[in-house]
Amino acid sequence: MVDSSYGQESSANKSISTSPEIDGLLAGVGYAIRPSDLPHVAERLEKLDSAIIAAAAAGLPPEFLCSDAVHYNPSDLAAWVDSMSMLTSLSSPPIHPAPAPWPVQIYAPAPLSTPTVDLLAPEDAGINLVHLLMSCADSIHRDDHPSASKLIHEMQILLPRVGTAFGIGKVAAYFIDALDRRLRPRPSPPAEDEILYHYFYESSPYLRFAHLTANQAILESFNGLDRVHVIDLNLKHGLQWPALIQALALRPGGPPFIRLTGFGPPEICEVGRRLADFARSVKVPFAFTRLDEIQPNLLRVEPGETVAVNSVLQLHQFLSDPGSPGPIDSVLSWVKALRPRIVTVVEQEADHNRPGFLDRFTEALFYYSTVFDSLESAAAGAGPEVYLQKEICNIVCCDGEERVERHEPLASWRARFGRAGLWPVPHGSSAFRQASMLLTLSSGEGYSIEEVEGCLTLSWHGRAVISASAWHCGDGVDAPPLAGNIFFNGYSGSDRRE
Amino acid sequence: MENAEGEKERDNTRRYNINDNHDLLAEILARLDGPSLAAAASVCRLWRAVSRRDTVWEALCNRHVAADFPGTRAVVAALGGYRRLYCRCVGPISNRLAVSGEHATTAAAVAARLSLSLSLFSIDYYERLGDGGWQRPSSLLFLRSPVDVS
Repeated sequence: MVDSSYGQESSANKSISTSPEIDGLLAGVGYAIRPSDLPHVAERLEKLDSAIIAAAAAGLPPEFLCSDAVHYNPSDLAAWVDSMSMLTSLSSPPIHPAPAPWPVQIYAPAPLSTPTVDLLAPEDAGINLVHLLMSCADSIHRDDHPSASKLIHEMQILLPRVGTAFGIGKVAAYFIDALDRRLRPRPSPPAEDEILYHYFYESSPYLRFAHLTANQAILESFNGLDRVHVIDLNLKHGLQWPALIQALALRPGGPPFIRLTGFGPPEICEVGRRLADFARSVKVPFAFTRLDEIQPNLLRVEPGETVAVNSVLQLHQFLSDPGSPGPIDSVLSWVKALRPRIVTVVEQEADHNRPGFLDRFTEALFYYSTVFDSLESAAAGAGPEVYLQKEICNIVCCDGEERVERHEPLASWRARFGRAGLWPVPHGSSAFRQASMLLTLSSGEGYSIEEVEGCLTLSWHGRAVISASAWHCGDGVDAPPLAGNIFFNGYSGSDRRE
Repeated sequence: MENAEGEKERDNTRRYNINDNHDLLAEILARLDGPSLAAAASVCRLWRAVSRRDTVWEALCNRHVAADFPGTRAVVAALGGYRRLYCRCVGPISNRLAVSGEHATTAAAVAARLSLSLSLFSIDYYERLGDGGWQRPSSLLFLRSPVDVS
């Protein structure tokens, strides 16, 4: 498919003849196609996308589309897409009657309901904008700063025509700004982190999903224990913990003694105080300790305490360039040395740690456009987008130690945890049920949850955005109960309360 | 008309007024649903006071999420009371889920609904513990339906 393989095509197929009727920008990345064919190809690509999603939903393996096909000249995009459309004879109804996700929309000439195609429509400008973004990223990848600057200037002229209110224009605006900052670094205005974080928390289900699944896994692993110690690798504003404290308060047999150790700057002492007030209100014995990131060895685990380690969107900051050793290994061995009963990890499901700039840029563009699309459906306003802008700028502008947003997909984390001696604990059905209920309550019809080998992934229109997983040590430490049907309110699977 | 019997009946009923027995009134109001309870609160000052009793809302909540097991009452009272729990969490959640066709038929589904309601309720209380300032409790706003003011 064109979208995710954009980056890899750039180095191949430089021998495409640049005859005048071939689109120059697409030729630069390996596809020979006439501009007049673009609307037809775009429409076919959209249908193909729907067919593949329908096939996946129907449980057919993805190979069914390709096993009988031989593609002689994949750079001839028009012919390829025609041959693929003939293969997919599914008459699939559109999965999402809501507006199509925009990464497909950028190739679609017009919504399928309107019969005429206007080639001068903003959608055409949108396609051009994406071409320019890719070319600019390619120039930066080749260290060709003059042409990159020229392309940025062109994009800034084109942007008002596309419109930055929604869709491709909005995401492109942030990425153009990030590219500009990379070429001409300038100090960014001070951001009100707390306010932006709350906007992001309230307007999308991602953080709530993260907190809910992690809490449920921790709750189930603490079943029957009297003294528990939760270690949060990034306390932030502590929004995860009230629900867990309340859940443990309602546990049959009474609450355990909870100790919470939070890593973060000195301001989080206030957060700890509030959590202690909360725990006092619901009569749960509670103690809070703050630790600085650089002094993890000051962590004290009292004898008799069972430890849970929690990391929401934090572990990726310990990664470094692939191949070079980074703090992650010492962090994971520190975690393992604590002999935790459970380690809950929530991470972005994206591949933003590739060494090549163009690959990283492409992945980030499509990931954040998915996320922005989901925020649009919630009519969230600019708050959460500015919150995400920090991540975008970090991925695009920074390198080396400054780049902390090194997202890696779940498969990479799985391998990494396996090497460190941590084994997966599947999420139970109660976590899945509550998460599904949470999605139904959130505005936006495109969210879905998948379970992949015990880990829960929250997706928007089929594209994974965030994944939650739980791990345990394996050797000597008892594994927490599997597939728990335990709710904090005393309900357990076997007890039929009608 | 049978004036004699009618008057005798009216005499009998005039001797008994529901407003004289607040507990009985509360018992009756406890059987109403959310919107009816809110309407009852608009009748007069007495009815407003009685319908604000937490026991009335507790009965309503329990009909939705079966929260009647030991310890819940203390925790819910600490976090703001059943009236707030219903108005902010249980009510909107039940309505939203009903609109999308999900009805809590199994005990597991009901337990999940209670679990989620109480989790969101505790986050709301935690926000209210904050020192005010700019931070008004807004974590439950996503349960509300947007109002078109165009």
